Amino acid sequence: MSEPQRDAGARLERLLAVLTWLAQRDRVPLADLAERFAISPEQLVGDLELAACCGLPPYTPDRLMEIIVGEETVEAQLGPELGRPRRLSAQEGFALAAAARASAAAHGQGGPGAQGGRHGPEDSSPLERALAKLEAALGGHTAVGVELGEPAHLHTVRDAISSGSQLRIDYLSAWRDARSVRVVDPLRLAAYGGNWYLDAWCRTAGGTRRFRVDRILGAEPTGERSQHADGDELSKLSELAEGPFVPGPEATLVRIAISGDHAWLVDAVPVIETSPMPDGRTEVTLGVVSTVWLERLLLQLGPRTEVLGPPELRDLGRDAARRVLERYTPP
Amino acid sequence: MQAVRRPALSERAPLAPTLSPVPSGAKGSRIDRLERLTDLVLVLLNTRIPLSLRELADAVPGYPPEGEARRQAFERDKRTLRDQGIAVATEAIDGPEQVGYRIRPDDFYLPDLRLEPDEQAALNVAVAEVHLGDPSGRDALWRLGIPSSRPLAPVADVPSLPGLATLFEAVRSRAGVEFGYRGERRRLDPALLRFRQGWWYLVGFDRAREAARTFRVDRIEAPVTAGAAGSASVPEGFDAESALPDEPWKIGEDEPRPVHVAVDALEGPRVVQALGESSVSERRPDGSVVVELQVTNERALLSWALALGAHAEVLDPPEVRAAMVEWLRGFDR
Repeated sequence: MSEPQRDAGARLERLLAVLTWLAQRDRVPLADLAERFAISPEQLVGDLELAACCGLPPYTPDRLMEIIVGEETVEAQLGPELGRPRRLSAQEGFALAAAARASAAAHGQGGPGAQGGRHGPEDSSPLERALAKLEAALGGHTAVGVELGEPAHLHTVRDAISSGSQLRIDYLSAWRDARSVRVVDPLRLAAYGGNWYLDAWCRTAGGTRRFRVDRILGAEPTGERSQHADGDELSKLSELAEGPFVPGPEATLVRIAISGDHAWLVDAVPVIETSPMPDGRTEVTLGVVSTVWLERLLLQLGPRTEVLGPPELRDLGRDAARRVLERYTPP
Repeated sequence: MQAVRRPALSERAPLAPTLSPVPSGAKGSRIDRLERLTDLVLVLLNTRIPLSLRELADAVPGYPPEGEARRQAFERDKRTLRDQGIAVATEAIDGPEQVGYRIRPDDFYLPDLRLEPDEQAALNVAVAEVHLGDPSGRDALWRLGIPSSRPLAPVADVPSLPGLATLFEAVRSRAGVEFGYRGERRRLDPALLRFRQGWWYLVGFDRAREAARTFRVDRIEAPVTAGAAGSASVPEGFDAESALPDEPWKIGEDEPRPVHVAVDALEGPRVVQALGESSVSERRPDGSVVVELQVTNERALLSWALALGAHAEVLDPPEVRAAMVEWLRGFDR
């Protein structure tokens, strides 16, 4: 019945969180509580029944926490003390502050370290006000800032999304190393790592595409309304996986061998799999749709990174380096 | 079921300074460790004065009888609590045991944030829509008693790194930090933690060098240790913001020097859009541009140029151009 010792700390943390929640409410459906705290209803009932045996000495009924677990609900009389918000751990404080700052940046609110709204505290959004209160409680100054960048046409794109307008964009594609003009129905903006991405229905391509906003060289409304802005396409977007790029079935799986100082790669680039090699290097599998992209990556990684397969890509890095070298060699 | 209002746990009589031992049958013989920990937290929180280990073992069922096993069990419990961010304060007391324990309410509770419902909702949305790769944001909401939603489709995806929480805490509490960086131990009075252009940066005052220094957090080597709160002192008028560079090639220890890079007509517009018109030192008839960059980190500059492939060429200074050629020639060996 009792879980291993090492989980007791995590269980305590969750139990205290549940009790804080319960202390602020009279009666809560068990299923609701279980979902909210990511725990099975059985485990929840077990922990609540355990908690009902806890309290202060001498642990007579009047000194125990009052928790009544019914068929579908739980009722608790725990008093205001247990309902008070608890001091955040460093990790929690950081995660909350970083999320709030990132959210503000994503919605174009406040500067990375700004306090209050653009024109003063009265003008602040609820998020900016919440941030101000949080930071005051955490020590009075902004300890973490998040900048998501502001590529030149971000505002035009954002405005088009909120007004449901179609855009004509002049786009420099990374895949094909070429520039083209496209008409798009903008659907959603998201910032992954240091870059902004626009998911849009591309009329030219006849499907949903993802564009990197810093590769948009020009953007202007066409005057037409976006036809795909609501309904189907937007909900289909949630099927588009998270992360800047997910290789589809047409992607080629490329295996490369990297050494220790390229460990950053795994976080910076969508990696399908990594595994250690006997000689100390790491084998990394990438999904690649564009050889241009792979070339540039290999150039940055350097000659000691080896393409293990497929065989036709083994010389990609060397060939790319030769082409660049031509610029440095007098004719 | 009738709802009967019973006095809250805290409204009942406070623990008397000397406790009579709990009757042995009060809780039965098998105590789940979670139960012992929960009782321990409640007892430590509810006592006005520190309790000795003996008093605690008398008050909290589940500890072994007096002896080494009891002491070790308590030490384990204290560690578990500390790992969950619950600080058990140790204070001197009268009596043979000399030390007593309690949880100070200020250490346990946050000052009342008084968040309005719309502010709570905004924090909830922020945690749900920003993916940090770390569930602590949701834990934070729970601690604050704010309802938490399922994760939403991300509006921003920001990486989380080990060490960020320690650095955040150090900036927040103005504590000095020490860490490894490129093989050296460095000491810093940290002032600012910022995510910019896809990387986490730490800016602070380096007392040994008497100057501002910037570090890429993903390059910081463990262990990262922080001193006591308030141990950092950043000089009057220290501008951490200006020490935060705009471009990766500006973060380095080299002497700053101008580097000229030619970019062809295809990639030129995007480069100028990103760096700004002021970076342009020449526009050529064929549509290409030459940009001038102030560089203190040669490797970062080369990496940036390589990402442009054959569309970019490092023109000068000669040693940087030579470094690029050397790098490229390496592919042919």
